Order: sequence, then structure tokens, then C-alpha cells
Amino acid sequence: MTSVPLRRPRRPRARRGSGRTDKVGYALVAPAMVLTTVFFFVPMVLSLYWSFNDYNGLQPPQWVGAANYTDLARDPSFRHAVKNTVVFTLVTMIIGPALGLGSALLLNRNIPVRGFFRSVFFLPVTLSLVVVGTLWKTVLAENGLFNHGLALLGISGRAWLDDPSTSLAAVSLASIWQGFGFETVIFLAALQTISQDLYEAARMDGAGRFQSFLAVTLPSLRPTMFFVYVVGVIGAFQAFDQMYVMTSGGPLESTTTVVFYLVQRFQAFDLGHASAAAYLLVVVLAVVSAVQLRLSKRLS
Amino acid sequence: MRRTRVALILAACTMVATGCGSAGGGKDTGSGPASGQITVWDYYGEATPLKKSIARFTKTHPDIKVKYQAFDYDTTHDKFAVATSSGDAPDLATVDMTWIPSFAANGLLSDLTPLSGGKLNGTDMKSQYTAGANEAMQYQGKQVATLYDFDAYALYYRKDILARKGIAVPKTWDDLVTASNQMAERPSPGAKPTRYGLQVLPDTFHYSQLLFQNGGSILDSDGKKAAFNSDAGVEALDYMHGLIKDGGGLYWADPNNTVAGVKDQQIGMFVNGPYMMGQLKSGAPEQAGKWAVAPAPYNKQPGSYLGGTGLVVPTGAKNPRAAWELMQFLLKPAQQQLVYTEAGAAPATSAALELPALSKPDPYFGGQAPFGVFKDAMSTATHFPYVESWGDIDKSLTDAVTSVLLDKSSSKDALDKAAETTDSKLGN
Repeated sequence: MTSVPLRRPRRPRARRGSGRTDKVGYALVAPAMVLTTVFFFVPMVLSLYWSFNDYNGLQPPQWVGAANYTDLARDPSFRHAVKNTVVFTLVTMIIGPALGLGSALLLNRNIPVRGFFRSVFFLPVTLSLVVVGTLWKTVLAENGLFNHGLALLGISGRAWLDDPSTSLAAVSLASIWQGFGFETVIFLAALQTISQDLYEAARMDGAGRFQSFLAVTLPSLRPTMFFVYVVGVIGAFQAFDQMYVMTSGGPLESTTTVVFYLVQRFQAFDLGHASAAAYLLVVVLAVVSAVQLRLSKRLS
Repeated sequence: MRRTRVALILAACTMVATGCGSAGGGKDTGSGPASGQITVWDYYGEATPLKKSIARFTKTHPDIKVKYQAFDYDTTHDKFAVATSSGDAPDLATVDMTWIPSFAANGLLSDLTPLSGGKLNGTDMKSQYTAGANEAMQYQGKQVATLYDFDAYALYYRKDILARKGIAVPKTWDDLVTASNQMAERPSPGAKPTRYGLQVLPDTFHYSQLLFQNGGSILDSDGKKAAFNSDAGVEALDYMHGLIKDGGGLYWADPNNTVAGVKDQQIGMFVNGPYMMGQLKSGAPEQAGKWAVAPAPYNKQPGSYLGGTGLVVPTGAKNPRAAWELMQFLLKPAQQQLVYTEAGAAPATSAALELPALSKPDPYFGGQAPFGVFKDAMSTATHFPYVESWGDIDKSLTDAVTSVLLDKSSSKDALDKAAETTDSKLGN
């Protein structure tokens, strides 16, 4: 038997396009490149510069070093906004994906009119947050549907959005309702890729349903969960629309998020602090995403 | 969210791309009749009287072409600043009078005196407005706006309910507590009114009215320090709180929801400006004949915040002379009348307030002519302080009022805290 020397298969050479094709390619991407540069990268760099300036957008900027950042650290309104954003993110990111996974597990079974339920769960995702916010504002009003429902159960309701102790929870509820359909669809797609052989093997090893869920389903969903959490956390940290529509950030700043604060500073022509807040948000999101990535790698 | 970010980025980019500096120049200082094109920005909304007036203007001024652009309230505020600072200003704009301090402090508003020579449609400007309005149109000695419509508060009440329950129209603070209590209907004693409550809005507009009525002021006479945390201010906020605690007051967080509250009869009384006449008529036509307007009940003296819509010529307007022609036209009584007939709001010039159309009995208000009440309110009204950081001061005061009305703080503590913020914003 002659041994055949193992040879690395030669990689097919990338076909180099002609110079003309290159030019056409560049020409095709040029508009997008120019627009992205002008409307995204340039403002990004500029706002970094503004974050070190006292700048109202109307008079020339005055360099103040890190003063805007230290002002933010001392500003109770900003600290309040950070706290609200963290609470909102935790609440929506604990309940939302859990609901999404739960409904995906239910919809992954052979239940009647499964297609209908899938559409129903996904429908809120297709609505704009402004529409969802307006809808929930009406539902949660003192004379709204929610309190009428509670009254039938003999429970007296309240103006959920007007009370600082319940307003953030009420806005979170609307956000979860709007968003968990997206998580349902993503988890459902992932569930359908899990091989039945794994469940079969688990069953043969004597695993019950719950053990199968822990030993097969959850580990298989890990990459999907990572995706859901990274995207979800970034979205939650940037929450604005629902607060704008439902509570205008109030009462008593109880629903003012970092982005809401940023917009308020912008409207007050305080671009220095608005830019500094935006950059702090970028840094926090980068750190949180890096931690999530590391955790995901370690777990897998 | 994404849309907001894009808007911010676009606005920021526009500022940068165009140099960000405060633009001056471009002024047509020529003599002879004004001509050419002007651009008008209007935030008034669907019921704007401007469109009709401009159509009339272009007939009488064929040499001036008017390009009319409508924007919503928030867009006008942000766009005006960005466009004016980048040399892309309109020639004439409607602005909320509460925007005047920050716009004027940043040099966005032209001094109108060189255009007017102190006259409006050939008559002395000052004689055509009340003293309070004249003061509101000035910023640091320069006239930067003319008042197009005004906002000063009076008491709207369901006169059918007051009559049915035999309650007299309240005239003093104490009367208001008693009357609102008698008028309100509650499911059980001490519970929140579910019908015919007195709307209590937690904002600076309504608190400042009580403050002024109690002899207080928002800032000291130099405008350098908070004065609302004086004894008069604390007493005013305690009274506001008492309207809910001891009277028929109904804490009402969303002012935009007032007509809904009127329609389902939750609100039987509220204090607000003349623009609410139009909103009631269009939003609750079924309650025609049931409402009336009276002077806002007061303690020591009548008083109200004074606001409204101003007409301004931005710095950098390309054709200020033609813009001034249009501004004068809009302030003629026949055009001012449209403020009432089209928008249901209150025209600001003294001549317009004397128009027969405004003093004739209004069937919606049971044959009353409510304009006289608002006209009187205007004569004792005061505009908010013209300091650049007014937006931040307003917010801290609103938060103070809200925290007291929601039982989260005492009036003294809340106002002291707001005063601390105010003083730091004023640079103390």
C-alpha cells in the first residue's frame, strides 16, 4: 500500500476582479460610505470633542477638560437616570427573555393553531414603540382597562404612571410586552435546531423532562441567549421612546433614562454634557458587552 | 430611539457643517417698499390663523412672496436654534414666549426697533400692548418679539353644577377650597373625587400663579437668586397641596389630557389660559352652555403667569424688512381676530381685544363673553424671568411642586432644594 503524502489542498485563488470591476464596486459603495462618514463617524468624533467643551451649539465651544464628566458624576439627575436605566435593564432583561423562552417552549410543541399563536406573540414587535406607549398609557390610566380589570377582582387600582413608585415598573411592563415576541421567535428558531437525538439520549439515561431541559435545551440555547442578551441589554440601555410617550421622564424623574437625560440636555442647548453622557453610555455598553462575551465563552 | 439618535446626529452635523457660529448679516437695509421672498416657520398647529392671514397678505402685498412652513412645537424649538445659528434662519417665526430667554441670550433674535422705529402699523408700539406684554417683548432693553396671542389664567367652571348645588362662584383662595369641595363627588368621604373635581396641574405655570397672588416672586429683583422659597412661596405651595388634601382638588399629571377629563366629567373646574376655550369647544361640544369663566380666585392680589405666542425675526433673516411688513400685518385687528375665530385663542394687541367679535356673547359659555375675564387677567400677569437657564429652573420648580402634591416632601424642603438648583444654575 503506497502511502499518499498528505498534502494540504490548495486553496483556490481568489479571483481578482479586473480594475474596472473594482471601480464599479467602489462607486456602488461610495454613497453609503460618504453618508456613513458624514452622518455617523464625523458626528461621533465631534461629539467626543464636545464632551470636553462647554458648548451650546450656538457659540464657539470652550475647552473645559473633563469638567462635563465630573459634573455628571455630581449631578443627582444624571445619577437618578443611571439608576433608572440599570433597574429598567435588569427588569426587562430578566422578565423579557424568560417570557420569550417560556412561550417558545410552549409554541415548540404540537399544539392546535400553533401558527396563530406565533403570529399573536410576534405582532407587538411589529408595532412602533410610540404606538405601544400610547396604547399602554391608556390601559394604565386611572380610569383605564387595567384598573377596571383589577376592580372586577375587588382590587383598587391607582394611576400607575403618575406615581413615582410604580411608573418605571409600568413602563417596563409595556416594554416587555412589546419586546418578548422577538425573543420568542429567536428562541423558537433555536429550539427547532436542537437534535432530537440529544433528547432521546437523555431519556435513555433516565433524565426526566426538567433534567432534559437543564442538560440539553439550556446548553444548546447558549449562543442564542448570548445574542438575545447582548442585543437586549444594548436596547434597554438606550430606552427612550416609551418614556417619552408614556411619562415624559417623570414623575420626579422616576422614568428618566440616560438617553432621556441626554435629549433633555440637548434641548437645553447643553451639548457638552449631552455628549459626555452619550460617551459614558458608549463606554458602559462596551464594558457590559465585553463582560457578556467573556462570560459566554467561559460557559461554553 | 433610533430616530431620536439620528435626529440628534443630523442636528449636530448640521451645526458643524455650517460652522456653528452665530450668524448676523444678510440684512436688507434698503429703503422703499419691502419686496422679495420670505420664509415663515409656524408651530401653531392645524388651527393656525397664519395661513389665512398670509393668503390675505399676499393679495395686498404682491411684491412679497411668502414661503410658509409648519412644524410641531418641539421641532420648531430645536430647528430654530440650529438653523438660525447656522445662517439658515427663516425670516419670521412663531415662538413660545417661554423660549425667548434662551434664544435671545444666544443672539438668535433680531432687535425689532430698527425695523419698527417704535411704531406698529403707524401707531406707538407701547400703546398697543399692556404694560406686562410690553415688558415680555423686551430682552435686556431690546425689543426681540411682538406678542401675537397671549396666555394668562382664569377659572373655568361648570356653571350648571355650581348652580345645581347652590355654590357661589369662588373669588378667594378659601372660597376655592370650599367650592371645589362642595362640587366634587367622591365614592366615599375622603376618597379622590371621581366627578367634578378641580384640576390641579403640577407645573410651574400653576404654582407661579399662586405665588404671584400671594405676593411672591420667582427670582429676586436682580434675577440673580431664587426667591420662590420665601414664606409667600411656601404658603402658596402649601395652599396648592391643600386644594387636594382639604378641597376638591384632583392631581392631574398630564395637561394634554384635560379635555378627556372634561368629557368624562372628572373635571368640573380648572384654571388655565384662553386657548382652552377653543379646545373645549372642539373637544367637548356636547357641554355647550354648561361652562363659564371667572377671574382666578386669589389671596392677596390677582396674578398670573403671562405667556403666549411671539412673532420674531431671527438674526440672519434674509429679508427682515419684508418680514416686518408681514409681522405688522399679522398684528392688525382684522388678522388678530383670526386668532380667536380660527384657533379659539386670545389675540394680544389691545385694539384686537376691543373687537366686537371678541366681546359678543358666546353660546358655549352660556351667553357670557369670556374674553373680558382673560383681558383683565393679562393686565395683572407677569412673564417668567428672562434668564438663560430658565428651562432648568422651570424643571426644578416643577419637580418641587410634584413632590409636594404627591406627599413626597414638605413645601419648605422641596422649594429649598429647588432654590439650591436654581442658584447654581444662575451661577451662584
